Amino acid sequence: MTAPVLAARGITKTYRLGRQDIPVLRGVDLDVGEGEMVALLGASGAGKSTLLHVLGLLDPPTAGDVLFDGRPVHGLPIAERAQLRHAHTGFVFQFYHLIPELTALQNVMLAGMMTTSWLSWWKDRRAAKARAIAMLEHVGLADRMRHRPAELSGGERQRVAIARALLVGPKVILADEPTGNLDSKTAASVIELMFSLQAERRIAFLLVTHDESLASRCHRVVRMRDGVVVHG
Amino acid sequence: MRAFPPFLALRYLLTRRINLLSVFGVSFAAWAMIVVNSVFTGFVTDIRDDVRRSTPDLLLTDLPHATSYDSLRAALEADPAVAATAPRLRHHGLWQPLQVPSRMQRSLESSQVDFNHMEGGFVLLLGIDPLREPAVTGIRDWIAGGMEPIGKHLGRLGPQGSVFDEADPKRRAEMLVPDELEWRGRGRARIPRASQEEHVSSLPGVLLGWRRAYVWPWLQQGDPGDLLAAAFVDDANGKPQLRTHRVRTAFAGWFATGHRMFDETQAILPIETLRTMLGQDHADPEAIALVTDVAMRLRTGLAPGEIAAAKTRLRTAAQALLAAGSAPCSVLDWEEQNPVFLSAVSHEQTLMRIVLFVVMIVAAFVIYATLHMMVVQKWKDVGILAAIGGTPRGIGTTFLLCGLVVAVVGAILGTTMGGLSVHYLNDFNDWLFRTANVELFPRNLFDLQQVPVRLDPAWLALVACTSVGLALVTAVVPARKAARMNPVKALSYE
Repeated sequence: MTAPVLAARGITKTYRLGRQDIPVLRGVDLDVGEGEMVALLGASGAGKSTLLHVLGLLDPPTAGDVLFDGRPVHGLPIAERAQLRHAHTGFVFQFYHLIPELTALQNVMLAGMMTTSWLSWWKDRRAAKARAIAMLEHVGLADRMRHRPAELSGGERQRVAIARALLVGPKVILADEPTGNLDSKTAASVIELMFSLQAERRIAFLLVTHDESLASRCHRVVRMRDGVVVHG
Repeated sequence: MRAFPPFLALRYLLTRRINLLSVFGVSFAAWAMIVVNSVFTGFVTDIRDDVRRSTPDLLLTDLPHATSYDSLRAALEADPAVAATAPRLRHHGLWQPLQVPSRMQRSLESSQVDFNHMEGGFVLLLGIDPLREPAVTGIRDWIAGGMEPIGKHLGRLGPQGSVFDEADPKRRAEMLVPDELEWRGRGRARIPRASQEEHVSSLPGVLLGWRRAYVWPWLQQGDPGDLLAAAFVDDANGKPQLRTHRVRTAFAGWFATGHRMFDETQAILPIETLRTMLGQDHADPEAIALVTDVAMRLRTGLAPGEIAAAKTRLRTAAQALLAAGSAPCSVLDWEEQNPVFLSAVSHEQTLMRIVLFVVMIVAAFVIYATLHMMVVQKWKDVGILAAIGGTPRGIGTTFLLCGLVVAVVGAILGTTMGGLSVHYLNDFNDWLFRTANVELFPRNLFDLQQVPVRLDPAWLALVACTSVGLALVTAVVPARKAARMNPVKALSYE
């Protein structure tokens, strides 16, 4: 059996508020296999987003390990973690989190610049641009790529965010309520896009959601309550 | 460097007009530093040139009372560094034309005139040997230049002094004005004179700094004037007695060195005339060739080290010839002869540069403020960049590059504008005066034909480098702040 592309082993995360310790994650274990679509359900404050940040190496766990392809990664140097975050995972956020000064195309291209040197990128810039254009075309934004985020609808912005997350071919996408800010029609189209990408590219998705119907379409549903996985 | 910092920095800068404020701040500071310093350097250089022009290469001074030039001359001229020497005798006195036109359209005699130094009168007397002085200073040029400022400021050109063009060395030694001029002058002053054909000049000449032309604009060569000096002279019992001496002289022309204090205060006269007034009548066989200083011209091409060595040698040689127990004499170069004035000018320039650096620091704070504001506004972007794989270093570099671009663009604009402003400053000043009757730099105040600007390439480079350096230093703080930001907090920032 191959190692899960993303795994959590005994993850705890405690925040300190003044003199008080607030435990948010209390020993979370989780595996996400290659191409697996996992829904992460739970009430607000259950620790879903915190777990996502820890798994995406944005926030260090207080204890426990995060494993990428079976390899513990949180003890790595900061530059190496950034490199892994870039190559191994992609983030999709509820509020899209696009850079407002950049066009849709530039936002997607930006993802390809994070670990490449300026000189290499400059030499390869035409190919890099072509990849970003292809990705935007793939998510159905061929005619919107010169627009800035403020000129795009919510659904279009989320598609740009998905294209950005997919550009460097990550093994897993961490999506934090990707449809939480969209109307139902737009949300449905975004969900369809994610499912088609998962099927087409064998990319694993860890989807934080409150939507039971969406969760029911996933391969597996993981429920959290008060910082622990109650059903996986 | 990763590809994203320059890509993102450029777009941040291009899409945020507030950054123009930082560019303007750096440009303005660089511009001000270049223009103000260039004008000040021009002024200082001109002032130093003027002082240099009025001063011999070296001056042997602080000599004891009753020192004779004859005893020093051979020893000084034997030094390999010395090309020529000339005696100097300094004293103070009063000089007044015999006839002064009054506002009542009548002439006053000198005895009726107040010897208020503001009205003329008081002078620092500089006795020179007219036969030797041209070898150590540019006195001929001083006289040749005397008419130019008078013409500029008083609107008329008088005849140039000609006492150094006199062919007869005896007449030249007394700085006698041409016979005809003195004859006419005597006529104007209504003092006895022979017929024009028989008249021979006899009044020792006195050259006055051109600034006295403001007081006596009507003065013409040959006009008689009385010179009065007082000195303590030992009586038969060896007790010092104050003696006054009055000698009739003739105005021999104006001089202008450009050194304002010198041109305002000095009156140049034959050293023998002054010696006689101070009790050393050259007709007396026991009289000595009294000097207070000896001016020296150095051979050309001497290195500063050689000049310093020559000063030491000359001082030692002169001291050995002075009476035992004499106070130490001094040999001063041209800067040491005007220490207070030159040091004041130098201090002013230093202070001005400090003020200009404060302007630059203010500009750096503008960069800090705008970059800090940008970092705060881009808080969420920091989280986004971290989420898609940006390292803290790369994120910090993005904001540092913003500061660098602002600094470089500001420095280039500022130095270019500064260079152009300096180049066209006089044209602009002229244009402003013609069109609006406004002078940014009132040239008459400083006796200048043009605003003296000197663009020092080293200063230009220093300003450019300092602008960039200072802006970078101030950009480091917000850049570090961005680099150290917690990406999760950044992402949740609203």
